[in-house]
Amino acid sequence: MGKSSKFHLSEKQVGYLLIFPALLLIIAIAIWPVLYSFWLSLHDIRLNDPTKTEIHSNYGLDMERFVQTYPILNRVVTKETQEAKDPAVKSQLESIGGRVKEIKGFLSTDPAFAQRYEQVDELLFEFKPVTADLKFLDMNTEMTEKVNQVLAGLETEVQDLGAQKALAKPDDLLGLVRGVKQSIIEPNYIGFSYYSSFLQDKRMWASLWNTLVFTVLSVAAELVLGLLIALLINKEFRGRGLIRASILIPWAIPTVISALMWRFLYDGQNGIVAYLFETFGFIADRALLLTTKEGAMFSVIFSDVWKTAPFMALLLFAGLQTIPQSLYEAASVDGATKIQQFFRITLPLLKSTIMVALVFRTLEAFRVFDLVYALTGGGPANSTETISILAYKTMFAQMNFGAGSALAVIVFLCVALISIGYIKLLGADLIGDNK
Amino acid sequence: MQKKAGPLFYVFLVVFVFVVMFPFLWVLLASLKPPGELFGANAFNFIIQNPTFDNYLRVFTQRPFGTYLWNSTVVATLTTVVSVIIASIAAYAIAWLNFRGKTIVLGLVLAVSMFPQIATISPIFMFLQSMGLTNSWLGLIIPYTTFALPLAIWNMTVFFRKIPYDLAEAAKIDGASIFQTMSKVFFPLAMPGIFTTAIIVFIAAWNEFLFALTINTEEAMKTVPVGIVMFQGQYTMPWGEISAAAIVVTIPLVIMVLLFQKRIVSGLTSGAVKE
Repeated sequence: MGKSSKFHLSEKQVGYLLIFPALLLIIAIAIWPVLYSFWLSLHDIRLNDPTKTEIHSNYGLDMERFVQTYPILNRVVTKETQEAKDPAVKSQLESIGGRVKEIKGFLSTDPAFAQRYEQVDELLFEFKPVTADLKFLDMNTEMTEKVNQVLAGLETEVQDLGAQKALAKPDDLLGLVRGVKQSIIEPNYIGFSYYSSFLQDKRMWASLWNTLVFTVLSVAAELVLGLLIALLINKEFRGRGLIRASILIPWAIPTVISALMWRFLYDGQNGIVAYLFETFGFIADRALLLTTKEGAMFSVIFSDVWKTAPFMALLLFAGLQTIPQSLYEAASVDGATKIQQFFRITLPLLKSTIMVALVFRTLEAFRVFDLVYALTGGGPANSTETISILAYKTMFAQMNFGAGSALAVIVFLCVALISIGYIKLLGADLIGDNK
Repeated sequence: MQKKAGPLFYVFLVVFVFVVMFPFLWVLLASLKPPGELFGANAFNFIIQNPTFDNYLRVFTQRPFGTYLWNSTVVATLTTVVSVIIASIAAYAIAWLNFRGKTIVLGLVLAVSMFPQIATISPIFMFLQSMGLTNSWLGLIIPYTTFALPLAIWNMTVFFRKIPYDLAEAAKIDGASIFQTMSKVFFPLAMPGIFTTAIIVFIAAWNEFLFALTINTEEAMKTVPVGIVMFQGQYTMPWGEISAAAIVVTIPLVIMVLLFQKRIVSGLTSGAVKE
């Protein structure tokens, strides 16, 4: 190896080199976004409002919008002035025209504005996209206040003129004044106001409660059922492969697909499971499953248990197999009953496996999204809306990224709290690696 | 292993397998039913009077289901390749090399595996949008790879530690460099662990929903899970087609599970069970 003599790296350096790509990705695409989510949640960000699509820490001017609307405003004011018949209106429009020109005059005192205006104008003329570095121009507070004041005055005057029916196209003029006004960007830092309003928001608390109910009930049912299945299959029998496969298949299929399958089975008219539940008397009417609050929550939990209890059984079964058989033999020689054996041998020796499975399942259940999205969509009447679903709806249905990020941060904090709780409770059992 | 199983046990076994597999069996039946038997009086019949492949035909001819399958295959395959490469060299370093901060890295990896993805979605979405990567394969591969890494690193570290270190020492004495030790001694032995991890990463990427739902919204770039969920009309659920599509997606997974079940089980349980 000629190369290694040239670049001789110590074991330590190679170590850092090898973990670097993984670490880089994890920091850039997993850790940084969480921190940035928090930062976003302190701002009024809405993807459906062009002046609020990103964080603005200062007053600024949306150059693209300004260059597009300002010249037209200028032209329309001039045209209205020429067409005005009433001399009083004419002179008022002349004064308006003067103030419209004044706006650009103010702004042009900043040499950066004048230059930027030319550049953006040229790009728009050539139908080229305005690049991100040209789009926004910072403005100082004084200038912003001045321009805002002028624009506010113009808006009321144009509105009055419109009401007097003195203008040829009152809506056009008013729209243009407002358009120029909207090109002024205000800082959208709003501090913790999303958090304080969410703390009083019934829907948020309801979604948190739904998440909690889902997590506790489904994880508890999965643990009990999983343990039962694991104990039952912990013997010698034919057809192990079949059992293993039937355990793995529900785990392997996409959650949304299993959710859709269950939605079909629960269907109030043609669903076989709803029909069977009705026949066996579990429910009074088969339409109740997906249309009532309790029915819908039960349906979601039942589907989750179907998908995950076998998986839980798999983990616990692996744990059971590490318990030495000799312990049970010794116990039965000493006359211990099966139940005593379970509580004195199986449970204590299985504890660490149970705990690891419990931690991962709790955290996974708490962030449930796919299942609810495809099965109930959060309904009926938001009765199965979990906190992740609410965060998603706020972000991508309302396009309110600030508020949605605040909810996402709340999910993160809850997950962190649960993890800390488990770590406190279990200590070394959990973290201790296999070395 | 304990005592032999009695006949009652086999009854339990049959019931268990039937209950677990029932939704699939029913959906398989539904996918072969004509609309007249899917709804109404015949909806609960186990026997299909006029079985038909129409639903399968419609899924592939009247919906871009082939495109969804192709997108899912490409994204899941590339995610698997990239994340297995990155994770295996990182796991090699953590398991076999001596350097400070290993425990911190491993702790960080474990913590990240518990991150709720919803808490990362808005910045990732805005970042991908600004890079022009929404509605592209890469736009999914980047987050998928990142979120596959923690589990992959964790699993492979556990596996790699079981490979006898003596072999590396012997190689070192024979004058092999670290990279030679890695490629000639280590990776051949580590292949089973890497393969197991690859299967699990592939399944996770194939099944992912939240990122796919938000990042690739164009019809031509959707993956299978998102595509199937969007089958539903505003007022109707085309259950026949949904069933057919669900079966098409499930079959490759069932084959994979049947072929590699032992490996998958060992991969899933290695992190959770201490020996």
